[in-house]
Amino acid sequence: MSTLTYLQAISDGLRTEMRDDDRVFVMGQDVGAFGGAFKVTDGFLDEFGANRVMDTPLAESGIVGTAVGAAVAGLRPVCEMQFADFVACGFDQLVNVAGKMHYRQGLSVNITVRLPSGGGFSGGPFHSQNPEAWFMHAPGLKVVAPSTPEDAKGLLTTAIRDPNPVVFCEHKNLYRRVKGEVPAGEHATPFTARVAREGDDLVVIAYGAMVHTALEATEDLDGARVMVLDLRSLVPLDEEAILAAVHRCSKVVVVDEANQTCAAGAQVAALIAQRAFEDLDGPVVRVATPDVPIPFSPPLEQAVLPDVERVREACRELLAY
Amino acid sequence: MSSSRTETGVVDVVMPQLGVSVVEGTVVEWRKAVGDRVEADEIVVEVSTDKIDTEIPAPAAGVVSELLVGAGETVAVGMPLARIEAGDALTDDGVPAEGQPPASGGDDAGAEATGNGAGRRLSPVVQRIAADHAIDLSEVEGTGRDGRIRKQDVLAHVETAQAPLHTESPFRPESVPKPESAPVGGTLSRMRRTIGEHMKRSLETAATCTTWIEVDMSRVERERAALGLTALPLVARATIDALREHPQLNAWLEDERHTVHDDVHLGIAVSLDEDGLIVPVVRDAHDLSPEGLGRRIRDLARRARAGELTADEVRGATFTLTNPGQYGALMATPVISQPQVAILDIEAIIKRPVVVAGPDGEDAIAIRPMCVLGLSWDHRALDGVLAARFLSAVRRRLEGGPS
Repeated sequence: MSTLTYLQAISDGLRTEMRDDDRVFVMGQDVGAFGGAFKVTDGFLDEFGANRVMDTPLAESGIVGTAVGAAVAGLRPVCEMQFADFVACGFDQLVNVAGKMHYRQGLSVNITVRLPSGGGFSGGPFHSQNPEAWFMHAPGLKVVAPSTPEDAKGLLTTAIRDPNPVVFCEHKNLYRRVKGEVPAGEHATPFTARVAREGDDLVVIAYGAMVHTALEATEDLDGARVMVLDLRSLVPLDEEAILAAVHRCSKVVVVDEANQTCAAGAQVAALIAQRAFEDLDGPVVRVATPDVPIPFSPPLEQAVLPDVERVREACRELLAY
Repeated sequence: MSSSRTETGVVDVVMPQLGVSVVEGTVVEWRKAVGDRVEADEIVVEVSTDKIDTEIPAPAAGVVSELLVGAGETVAVGMPLARIEAGDALTDDGVPAEGQPPASGGDDAGAEATGNGAGRRLSPVVQRIAADHAIDLSEVEGTGRDGRIRKQDVLAHVETAQAPLHTESPFRPESVPKPESAPVGGTLSRMRRTIGEHMKRSLETAATCTTWIEVDMSRVERERAALGLTALPLVARATIDALREHPQLNAWLEDERHTVHDDVHLGIAVSLDEDGLIVPVVRDAHDLSPEGLGRRIRDLARRARAGELTADEVRGATFTLTNPGQYGALMATPVISQPQVAILDIEAIIKRPVVVAGPDGEDAIAIRPMCVLGLSWDHRALDGVLAARFLSAVRRRLEGGPS
């Protein structure tokens, strides 16, 4: 065990897998000499050499496409998108080629695509998005989003080992903001949900950075015992954990940092409406970013992203219902 | 609020469809007279079809202006029974309808509707818990917004409601004489009269004979203990198999029309204690395992006692089982439910010394749980040999012989 930041935990997980498995290599813009835009691969070039730490041109379709070919040939590439927003340029390779390869040809595409996601630091409309739902909607891809350093390492390890293409959404705003104990050496986390805090009056369901918002918002909420469920994996979605939480609490707030329409939380809400109807003691409440681009202006960005106050207010309203 | 009701001002109370195959119903009793004021959903009239009684609510609030059908009269489904002059009315939301003068006094506007929490918004989980614990939600105080009953309110009610009766307590309150004990005697209930008519008609119609057989229930006792069932569903299953072997008993005889059925729709007599007897039907019983039969019988019996059966659930049986044996009775001559041709009676399972084959084939006396099965059958439809063969087929299956 050592105390690492979320960012260090990702580096640690990646480095451990690369040391253990020759098939694992990284590719992306500036991942080599520069050590990555956020320094996740700092020092990797020296340790693993240019064949396993590949700087690429500014072409996401080329990065993902090359990775798909390498995976089909038996390697385990880890691609870095400099910002999650840029994955749009690699969309076709990811959704249409990687996601359908096994369905069409029975071939495994063991790639991991790292998406530094999320806002909260005035990154503006091109550097702050949460594109998880784009890929949840595409069959054949798995989508995970850790909230803690321990899970960042554990989920990345599982993603690298998973024979399917995995979209790994790491939250930029957590990189240096959260620290935690992380097991040394190999550490793999299953693609299931995690109870971040026990409770039985209400459950807040969230993932990524919103788990921390939910925990803070409900830490001291007029004595209510509020459960926080960290989804961790969006595809596969841990339906049983969600239903168990609703059965216990009967009131649910679902929080997304992504734009509201068709976000991951919409799928969670639909699941609850269909399969937990008789457990509900109030409407399923959603808190999400409205359907607007993420503003550059700090006060405007704060106004649109779900924050502690908004989540707390939603919980208070529902508790009083 | 339906638009027709405000446009015309007059709403009909109609004879509802009380089951898929029901075409008519009889007015049993009017609860309201002409000139009486009714609230929406308040009971106006009680009607019956065969054995099912149903209360019919007012479709709208207003004043009863006309009763179109007298008590005892039978009318077709969809026919109007009464007219209500809608007005002075509370809408469904409890808001006085626009343009209506207040009712005489007019002081009941906004009053809470009656019923199990009616008029209040209830969440699915509250309704589920209330149903599971048979809670009258009108007794539960809501602490949610605008007095809404929340999950914690109904859970708290469950706890307090169960608290006072401690099963270990030696204290047993003395029975208190009922303040208004009903006088002993008087006219028979409608259900008793109906049962009487059916039974008498059966005895007048059928040439009823009864044949008995004694069955060693050792295997049934073992099996039912393993499955966690009563003996009834196991006997029911054996009966169904025997009926498939002897379909002449799974039949109806209407005058000279003899119909032998492929499917077994099994009637199960359920005692309603002093109120009488009702025979709900396990439809397509041949498709069910003993466990499935057990579940269906339990469900039907529970709903029979709660008065929740629909008319379709008490008709169409092709054969009937009755088991007064659960009360220790030894033998009976059950009356066939017309137009069926037979009824099987299951008596008490009692340990008795019986002669069995010992290890070397010699005679020995053993203690065995024995049970008498009685079959009343209609000599117009079949003869005693067939009745005996049928009983022996049931016994073979219950005792575990080749099936």
